[in-house]
Amino acid sequence: MRYARVRWWGGRCSVLLCCVLAITPAVFAQAPASATELQVKAAYLFKFGAFVEWPPTAPSDSFAICVMGRDPFGHTLDDTIRGEQINGKKLVAKRIVLPEQAAQCQILYISDSEEARLRPILSAVGKMPVLTVSDITNFAERGGAIQFVLENGRVRFNVNLASAEKAGLTLSSQLLKVASSVQRSEGRD
Amino acid sequence: MMLASRSISTKLTWMNISVTAVALIVASIAFLAYDQSTARSELALSLSTQAQIVASNSVSALEFNDPQSARLTLAALAASPNIEGAGLLTPDGQLFAEYWRSPNVRVNVLPVLQPNRIETVVFFPQHATVIRNIDFGGRRIGAIYIRSSLVTIDQRRNRFLQILAIVLLACLGAALLVSMAFRHSVADPITELADTARTVSRERNYSIRAKPSRAHDELATLIAAFNEMLGQIQLRDAALLSARNELEVRVQERTKQLVAANRDLEAFSYSVSHDLRGPLEIVNGMNFIITQQYGRELPAGLRDCLDRIEDAAKRMEQLIDDMLNLARVTKSEIHRERVDLSGMVRQILSEFRQRYPERVIETTVAPDVIVEGDAHLLRVAMDNLVGNAWKYSSNVSPSRIEFGVRQSEGAPVFFVRDNGAGFDPRSAQRLFQPFQRLHPISEFPGTGVGLATVQRIIQKHGGRIWAEGQVNKGATFSFTLAEPESAVA
Repeated sequence: MRYARVRWWGGRCSVLLCCVLAITPAVFAQAPASATELQVKAAYLFKFGAFVEWPPTAPSDSFAICVMGRDPFGHTLDDTIRGEQINGKKLVAKRIVLPEQAAQCQILYISDSEEARLRPILSAVGKMPVLTVSDITNFAERGGAIQFVLENGRVRFNVNLASAEKAGLTLSSQLLKVASSVQRSEGRD
Repeated sequence: MMLASRSISTKLTWMNISVTAVALIVASIAFLAYDQSTARSELALSLSTQAQIVASNSVSALEFNDPQSARLTLAALAASPNIEGAGLLTPDGQLFAEYWRSPNVRVNVLPVLQPNRIETVVFFPQHATVIRNIDFGGRRIGAIYIRSSLVTIDQRRNRFLQILAIVLLACLGAALLVSMAFRHSVADPITELADTARTVSRERNYSIRAKPSRAHDELATLIAAFNEMLGQIQLRDAALLSARNELEVRVQERTKQLVAANRDLEAFSYSVSHDLRGPLEIVNGMNFIITQQYGRELPAGLRDCLDRIEDAAKRMEQLIDDMLNLARVTKSEIHRERVDLSGMVRQILSEFRQRYPERVIETTVAPDVIVEGDAHLLRVAMDNLVGNAWKYSSNVSPSRIEFGVRQSEGAPVFFVRDNGAGFDPRSAQRLFQPFQRLHPISEFPGTGVGLATVQRIIQKHGGRIWAEGQVNKGATFSFTLAEPESAVA
């Protein structure tokens, strides 16, 4: 045991004598405190997978996270998901251009660059068992499933439960619990 | 030890109570230890379960960096009253979210979680803490700790101790009652046996018996054996008593026989002595007549024969006198009165001086020796003792005769001492037997009855006589008279 740090928290002195935890280097590298916004978003993208239930489909040995439009992550996403698995399936990152290509994806990140044609994309992807995620403003209200938002510099997200249900996805209550806001009705447009 | 002097019943009571208390306390300690360890296991299990539940509910908060949600999840632990606080740590050991029931908690010490373990529960003096790693999707996403107070366990222990105290008191009371019940069957018979033994040894009454026990235990055997022993002692006592009585009867019988025999013997010797006198008178008379009438005509040889006959007759007369004296002394009753022994001895000595004026003799008589006794018998005794001294000192000139008294062991011892022929001390005892003589008649005439007579007289006075002497160095005859009122020096 070592004296990790003495910190002021909540107005009272809490001497926190920490234990030495067994920490994997990969997780350590992704610790939110040291992550940039982009890295956090990349991590969230694949972490969502654990809290979403997809309808049974043809067996596939991989779990695809797709990026549509201009890729803001670059190699960050690939680095993040390297070696990771969801439900025993290997994670792969794909870049797609057409909404039809989303059929091969489980999670689809729609880049800001696609905001103009968001409506056709969502209507094309809407019924596919694909979890749509985006940074686009009002994405959740506009029919997307999960929308990243920044709150006090922290990355959080809004959820549109109706959109997810329309796509045949079941979101875990745990996910909803940490969501910044949860919208339960159909999108406005 | 105090207990050593207490009675058996007290000891038994104490024994019962101690055994009960010890058994109960030992059992209670074991049970308390078991109970406490069970309670701790249960607490550990409950903490572990709660940690798992909270951990799985905190996964999303950790995954999506939502401390607020994590705090809400942790705050649910408020429902469990023993939980003092809980917290979530990020994988690098930073505090992620925290919940404390009371704002007064200042210091929180977390135990070390070994790298190869998922969870550990550590007990501190005041609380227990569980720490558990949280893994999700094959990754370690953080850790949770929950701290619980031990108040419940302590309360449980205190309640147990209270119950124990009550049960202990109840058991001791019960033990007291039980030992009182057993007292009748164990302690009381022993106490009674001890009392009986004490009474028997104090009163020497062997007819007493201990109350027999109705039980069939060692105690009953002991009581039975004790009673049997008393019976044997009683029997032996009775046998002893009857033997003694029989002996006494026999002794009385023998004494009676002896007395009768003695009386016969005395009567015989008296009558013999008396009857001997008659013929002796005739012998003497005839001798006198022959000497008077025909003395001058008789040849010298015959005259000499007649002289010898006369001498022998005189000796025989003396002997008969002495024997009669002895017999008379034996028969006579004692009439006690005050007797002036000094005056008596002086008178005897003056008589001897008149009879033997030729003797040169120095006499010393202690003055004022007054005793209680029979004047007549004491006169006979002193006659003999002084006469002996006179006779046996005749070969020494000047002779010395001393009468005196000395104190020995608080009683007066009277003595007559001379400086004459004395005697062989080895024969001292024989001196007092009748007809025993230590010197030939040719040297000192006598019958050998005198000292026997003296001894008889002294014995009749309840006294004792003995002689000390050496050959040619004189003799001392010492005697005592019945103590103590009789002797006045």
